[in-house]
Amino acid sequence: MSIRIKNVNKSFGKHLVLDNISLEFKDGDFVSFLAPTGSGKTTLLRVIAGLEKPDKGQGRVFYDDVDVTNISVRERNIAMVYQDFINYPSMTVYENIASPLKVSKNKMSAKEIDKKVREVAELLSLSDMLKHYPSETSGGQQQRIAISRALVKDTKYIFLDEPLANLDYKLREELRGQLKETFSYNKKGIIIYATADPLDALILSSHVGFLHHGKILQYDILDKIYNYPQYIEVASYFSNPTMNFLEVNLVKENNDYFLKVTEEIKIKVDNKLKDKLNKKEYLLGIRAQVISPYRQTKNDIIIKGIIELVEVVGSDTELHFRYEDFHLLSLSQKIENYQIGNTIDIFVDPSKFYIFDKDTKRLVCRMEGEK
Amino acid sequence: MARIELKDVSHSFEIAEGKEKLEWAVKDMNIAWEDGTANALLGPSGCGKTTMLNIISGLLTPSEGKIYIDGKDVTELSPQERHIAQVFQFPVIYDSMNVYNNLAFPLVNANFPKSKIKAKVEKVAEILGLVDCLDFPSSKLNSAEKQKVSLGRGIVRDDTVGILLDEPLTVIDPKMRGELRRQLKIVQKELNITAIYVTHDQHEALTFAEKVAIVKDGRLVQVGSPHDLYNDSASVFVGYFIGSPGMNILDGKLNESTLNLNGFNIELSKDFRKKIKSKIGEYQLGIRPEAIITSREKTTGTIPFEVAIVENMGSYKILTLIKNNKGDRNLRIKSRIDIHMSVSKGETVYLKFPEEDIKIFKDNHRIY
Repeated sequence: MSIRIKNVNKSFGKHLVLDNISLEFKDGDFVSFLAPTGSGKTTLLRVIAGLEKPDKGQGRVFYDDVDVTNISVRERNIAMVYQDFINYPSMTVYENIASPLKVSKNKMSAKEIDKKVREVAELLSLSDMLKHYPSETSGGQQQRIAISRALVKDTKYIFLDEPLANLDYKLREELRGQLKETFSYNKKGIIIYATADPLDALILSSHVGFLHHGKILQYDILDKIYNYPQYIEVASYFSNPTMNFLEVNLVKENNDYFLKVTEEIKIKVDNKLKDKLNKKEYLLGIRAQVISPYRQTKNDIIIKGIIELVEVVGSDTELHFRYEDFHLLSLSQKIENYQIGNTIDIFVDPSKFYIFDKDTKRLVCRMEGEK
Repeated sequence: MARIELKDVSHSFEIAEGKEKLEWAVKDMNIAWEDGTANALLGPSGCGKTTMLNIISGLLTPSEGKIYIDGKDVTELSPQERHIAQVFQFPVIYDSMNVYNNLAFPLVNANFPKSKIKAKVEKVAEILGLVDCLDFPSSKLNSAEKQKVSLGRGIVRDDTVGILLDEPLTVIDPKMRGELRRQLKIVQKELNITAIYVTHDQHEALTFAEKVAIVKDGRLVQVGSPHDLYNDSASVFVGYFIGSPGMNILDGKLNESTLNLNGFNIELSKDFRKKIKSKIGEYQLGIRPEAIITSREKTTGTIPFEVAIVENMGSYKILTLIKNNKGDRNLRIKSRIDIHMSVSKGETVYLKFPEEDIKIFKDNHRIY
């Protein structure tokens, strides 16, 4: 089974929201469309699901190689979960979950329905809530009811539009893990998930598409797009927390080449790397994870950082600090208690640097080379 | 700028209704927010934090107790007389005015001279990074900028003594939230203003505040720095609520030297038993996912668990682990492992619970 879209454009009025998008998904794919608000990810999801039609022209949507571009969403047998928790307020949780089965074309017996509803409710920890009404449940439970309705349906295409966005941190953390578990039980079908949260994409997906101004900037398997982001925009957004960028110059001293950050920090460029660098200026991309108040490798660069802001995030600490004219972000995998204004030693692992072309914004290479 | 204090504050909405047995929305609140500090009120929805906020701002007079600003009793003063600025979930700005006029509005109302208004507005715009959009119509701003204008209107007056932020990031795009939150914190530091940030989101509370007050069922559960709340959680609730994922809590029975945890046992040292001062009884064991040592090798004293979920968090992985208990409900716990350790669903891993990281609770309250 597959979904394929070809040359899809979509405009609202004069505004082009999707710009010539072609993609293909296969059985078992969990695809995330990752992008900030307003980049077109929800529209793309809706076009694929059939809730919106692509602009007239050559744009096409295929399910299992059948052109469904002009087939209404009702006839496509898909399931959709929205950002707002949409449930039937006058029905119990049980009736809500059962509702897609009752209207389904394939008539099921009451016994079969009961079995399915209880199975799905168990999967999403709703078994104790079946007799309650949605209004008596928490936000996280309301979204789980909506997700249960999508799962109970016998469909191979499930679309989720930012289902965790309206939940708070703790509930998001819980439900994200539960989604991971739920979808790993049943690997059949295609799941497409729109999100603005890089952590959702990182934890849940097999494939990620990054949207930028209505275009797919990069589409790859998770490991590839996370470890080899081809553009600065992808690298910056698909990092958690955000990536540091430093302007550097390629300089020659004696007979060696260096990427010069400051007088103090010059990173030696070996011959293999030198072959890839033929410009003077580059941007170094450094994830916060490889900048740490603790030593990581014996080759770490040590710098003095003045603490500017300390943010406890979950069980980690994001340390914002200044080094010369740079404002940098370091991630410590502990709860730290630093005082603002203090100077501390910071360790940076240069092998993990990304080198980007300043003009084209494309990835030139990683410092440690391809794996 | 000021120190804000609640003394013996309780409030019931049912006093006005004349009920005999009262439900307390807020009960026995004693807390002080020091001058120039960043604070948070953190609790699930319905915990009473909005009632507290309204009591501080003056929208609500508490049934009992007093509110002091710099030692002065302000309990009977109106919101206007208290000079506490407020930022709400949704930006409150005039769409028909440009940014400059929005920021100037509170000063124009107070009949400040034009030159003074200009100087003040420009200073606030500078602090908030709004200098380049002063002429913009407010309707053209994005939600984060609008929220900054709302804040700007609150802090533009010199007599503002403090600022209450009521879930100010609710309508902001997730990726922009961090940036705006950091800016709020920088503004708070720069102005040295007492700020109280109200939220149900532990992430926002811990990132913003140096002192966090956790509220549950109208009562203060624990007050402390993020570091203290994480390391010295006073209850099961705080242990789970702070940290991501939260602390693992397991029910157990202590029998001389053995802690029986419904499926496996942990031997406790003499020292440890001495510290908890008890020999037998029912307890709860608490251990943070990052304190558990997870290994693929079986060694003495390790406990086998089956991997149910692997979540790659970018810096490390979080495992959800299951111990099958025949008949009984399965035991589930989480552990944090190195990003380079490769494990998959269905595999068995072996856990060690270092004694120095074990916390003991009795009836949900920490005893060790």
